[in-house]
Amino acid sequence: MELGPIWRAMMRNKTGAILIALQIAVTMAIMVNAISIMQERSRMMARPSGVDEANIFYISSVGFAEDFNERVAIEEDLNMLRSLPGVVDAIQTNSVPLSDGGWSMGLQTEPGAEIQGTGVAIYFVDEHGMETFGLELLAGEDFSPGDVGWRERSDTEWPDKGIITRAMAEALYPDDPDSALGSTVYINDDEPLTITGIMKQMQAPWNGWSGVERVMLVPQHTLFGATRYVVRAEPGRRDELMPQVEQILADSNKGRIVRNMRTMEETRERSYRSDGSMIKMLTFVIALLTLVTALGIVGLASFSVSRRTKQIGTRRALGASRSAILRYFMTENLLISIVGVLAGGALAVGLNMWMVDAFDLTRLGWYLVPVAMVLLLLVGQIAVLGPARRAASVPPAVATRTV
Amino acid sequence: MIFYYLKLGWLSIRRNPWLSALMVAAIAVGIGASMTTITVNYMMGSNPIPSKSDQLFYVQLDTWDPNTVSDDPFEPPDQVTYNDAMALMKSAPAYRQVASNRSGLVLEPENRDETPFNVDARNTFADFFPMFEVPFLYGGGWDSNADEGMERVVVLSREINERLFGGENPVGRSVRMNGMDFRVVGVMDHWLPVPKFYDVTNGAFNDSEEVYIPFNVAIEYQLPRNGNTNCWKTPDGSGFEAFLNSECVWIQFWAELRNEQEKQDYMAFLAAYTEQQKLIGRFPRPLNNRLDSVMEWMEREEVVADDAQVMLGLSLLFLLVCLLNTIGLLLAKFIGKSGDIGLRRALGATRGTLFRQHMVEAGLIGLGGGIFGLGLAWLGLRGVEILFGEFIENLVTMDWLMVLTAIGLAIVSALLAGLYPTWRACSIAPAGQLKTQ
Amino acid sequence: MLSMQDISMVYRTDLVETHALRDFSLDVAEGDFVSVTGPSGSGKTTFLNIAGLLEQFTKGRYELDGRDVSSLSDAQRSKVRNEKIGFIFQGFNLIPDLSLYDNVDVPLRYRGFSAAERKRRIEHVLDLVGLGSRMKHLPSQLSGGQQQRVAIARALSGEPRFLLADEPTGNLDSQMALSVMELIKQINDQGTTIIMVTHDPALAGMASRNIHIRDGQVSDVEHDTQLVAAIAG
Repeated sequence: MELGPIWRAMMRNKTGAILIALQIAVTMAIMVNAISIMQERSRMMARPSGVDEANIFYISSVGFAEDFNERVAIEEDLNMLRSLPGVVDAIQTNSVPLSDGGWSMGLQTEPGAEIQGTGVAIYFVDEHGMETFGLELLAGEDFSPGDVGWRERSDTEWPDKGIITRAMAEALYPDDPDSALGSTVYINDDEPLTITGIMKQMQAPWNGWSGVERVMLVPQHTLFGATRYVVRAEPGRRDELMPQVEQILADSNKGRIVRNMRTMEETRERSYRSDGSMIKMLTFVIALLTLVTALGIVGLASFSVSRRTKQIGTRRALGASRSAILRYFMTENLLISIVGVLAGGALAVGLNMWMVDAFDLTRLGWYLVPVAMVLLLLVGQIAVLGPARRAASVPPAVATRTV
Repeated sequence: MIFYYLKLGWLSIRRNPWLSALMVAAIAVGIGASMTTITVNYMMGSNPIPSKSDQLFYVQLDTWDPNTVSDDPFEPPDQVTYNDAMALMKSAPAYRQVASNRSGLVLEPENRDETPFNVDARNTFADFFPMFEVPFLYGGGWDSNADEGMERVVVLSREINERLFGGENPVGRSVRMNGMDFRVVGVMDHWLPVPKFYDVTNGAFNDSEEVYIPFNVAIEYQLPRNGNTNCWKTPDGSGFEAFLNSECVWIQFWAELRNEQEKQDYMAFLAAYTEQQKLIGRFPRPLNNRLDSVMEWMEREEVVADDAQVMLGLSLLFLLVCLLNTIGLLLAKFIGKSGDIGLRRALGATRGTLFRQHMVEAGLIGLGGGIFGLGLAWLGLRGVEILFGEFIENLVTMDWLMVLTAIGLAIVSALLAGLYPTWRACSIAPAGQLKTQ
Repeated sequence: MLSMQDISMVYRTDLVETHALRDFSLDVAEGDFVSVTGPSGSGKTTFLNIAGLLEQFTKGRYELDGRDVSSLSDAQRSKVRNEKIGFIFQGFNLIPDLSLYDNVDVPLRYRGFSAAERKRRIEHVLDLVGLGSRMKHLPSQLSGGQQQRVAIARALSGEPRFLLADEPTGNLDSQMALSVMELIKQINDQGTTIIMVTHDPALAGMASRNIHIRDGQVSDVEHDTQLVAAIAG
């Protein structure tokens, strides 16, 4: 290969080469960081909520009439829902995973106001909670009907039992998570509560929370005026049940309104909408950027070919074959691109370091840099192919043309 | 002379239509991408109430847990407690001040056959309307007598008035919400501050509420709240009363202070109030009260989303790539014209005239790029709207400033991109190019 | 060495059909120095392009060094040019971005010589043309005559059997032209066959034989400087 002369000739006419190399470098910096952000987002989106998302939907009920008896309504509603054909189980609760609104408390292994508790998301459920959400109990036991009490909005007392996720057990007892089962923890600084069960996994309502896997189920019905029913349908029957449930609830009691009926799938979509959109936008940006860079290479290479027509003819006259000319331009582009991607690698890492600092993004995976390098080298080679072929088709007789 | 340059530029652009189109497209794509994100950032960071943003202050009182270690030790909570809000309303020395919170009510239409529906509501005080310069279509806000007398009055948004009364003047009529009748005193005109500065805790880009009722009425009848509530300490005892007396924060408090003196007096009052409260065992942390003006508060709450800033940065780099592209293409073009330039030099053109001629040409290309870029930015904003949905719909409109920015940015970009190629082209020796080869 | 028989070359466009050469025949022996003259448009350049395998002809037969080159592929023709033919162009055709060393190196690279062999040859031919001390210079730093000497060095570096020169002194003043011609003459004296296209009768006179082309045909094969001078004059 004639790397030396190609390089030296290029150094005599640096501007075009530098412009291309810079474009490739900046493109690579953007590309690598955009892909890194996309990876971060899709990792987040891939986390399971822990519940049977495909078959669950929920609906809110808000009482407004002065004579509305919430407790009676909840008991009647749950009986009705659980007896509907196609319903696996149903509960009344305060929130669901990914819904972005819920209740959190601090749990601590020792009592005392001066001790910092570990944050945990609370779901109020009854003995049907595990079955309705489709959760898996790893150890201990589920709630029994006798455990379940009623909670007014301003009550501050907590029940004496709770089921926590394995992740919460690990957070409370980092040295020996298994010891969580049966242990007493403290809520509200000094109110004791016994862990009666450990479940495999369930997410808190806030997907961006660092403690999203820390969850506790407590055995209480809530009387907060507004409530939420969660219904788990038999596979394939969710969509047929939804309008039915909405209709029955709306008709059964005129002192309340029902609203915001949603599937878990829709909730997931809404919860990650901005992340999903970010991924789509970045994909678009990368595609467009690659196109712009490729067009830039085509433009400058075409210009360089037409400027060097005479030279190409001379080379042909001196014995260069067509493929030698093709190779010349491909090699030239490869050299420029290599300089570009090397600079781009440094730029990408620098940009990432800054973004990690400024926006709490994750550090980029080291392999992204070589992958992007290869990708951009390939883009460069493909882009230059057209102009290089045009160069190869310059006839040798051009050498003897006087103008 | 400028017309001559414009003509020459136009002729030159037409001579290489593909190259010119490529340059215009490169600038247009760069402008389109960057203006899309600039607009979103601009809207997120815009001043929602420019006429008095430096006279409105968000009040923060540090009533928080002395044992907290997880957040910054001296960061006061972003809302205030009921007791503090009421104490300030009663005796703090502000020109105007207002405590308010978000809630949701169930509205029962007059026609009994229609089903009741939920409305977003705000519990607030009389000063809310003049203080935040709320425009009215009919009637107006209530006065402080209504606050003290716990009158059941309501201000409707223009949209909800369309729905309830077909847009007619409803002042004096009544609206039934949560089982109670409220008398309509006013209907707002369109009012959509972006960001929704008066309550960023519950969503800085949410729509304004649909109904506004006196705060005291909501307390008296224990109407529901549905905004963010944070407690570091469990209320002493059960019941609504215990909640009101708790250390839970759930109220946004704003004061209008017209000058530095008023601000200092207010700060002094807050300090004295804190000292007095410390005597009864509250405010366990060191004195750390804050008064932030509107824009300071937007900044502290980081209203401009990280994602928007990341996209802004990436899109500006994108514009840089497009400019590098344009520089390359302009260079190719101008050097390709060296014969023409050499001839003009030989015929007496100075470097200066040639420089101006080619900068005019670059500027023309920038103008084209700006116009097409504006179209692309519009498409980009529609795309962002489709992708992000309601969260962003108040942020994707371009005002005149943005339109001018787009065109200006495009022209400045093209001129910058044109500098080096023009300099190269103009340094061509007059004689050298006249010989063949 | 070179034998052309009834070569015809027709350029076709949609509107016109131009006969650049018609039934052109020529034999050149090993070691000959042939000058080719003729008025503009007579077919000189076409002859040169065909002789140098730069262009395919429409009809006829062409043997170079005992080998029929009429139907070679593009790649084969490149190889023949590279190995057997040296070119000297009117405009020198040096590559402006390359140093003298790299310019002479161009055909040797295509030849596939080792680095050491290339270096030896480059230094040798540059010494030969008297520019051995300026190998790192760029063409633009040289005078026209010096540039043409580099081009000659480049043509010689592959030790071709056959040198094609196209108006080699066309862009030079008379002083420089003379020294370049002396160099070419020297090369011929060492046994290299040379065909030189020129419109200058004085130069044509330095060749051992002159052919005159008119309307695409050889009009006067015999060497007669006076006559040629009269016609060209």
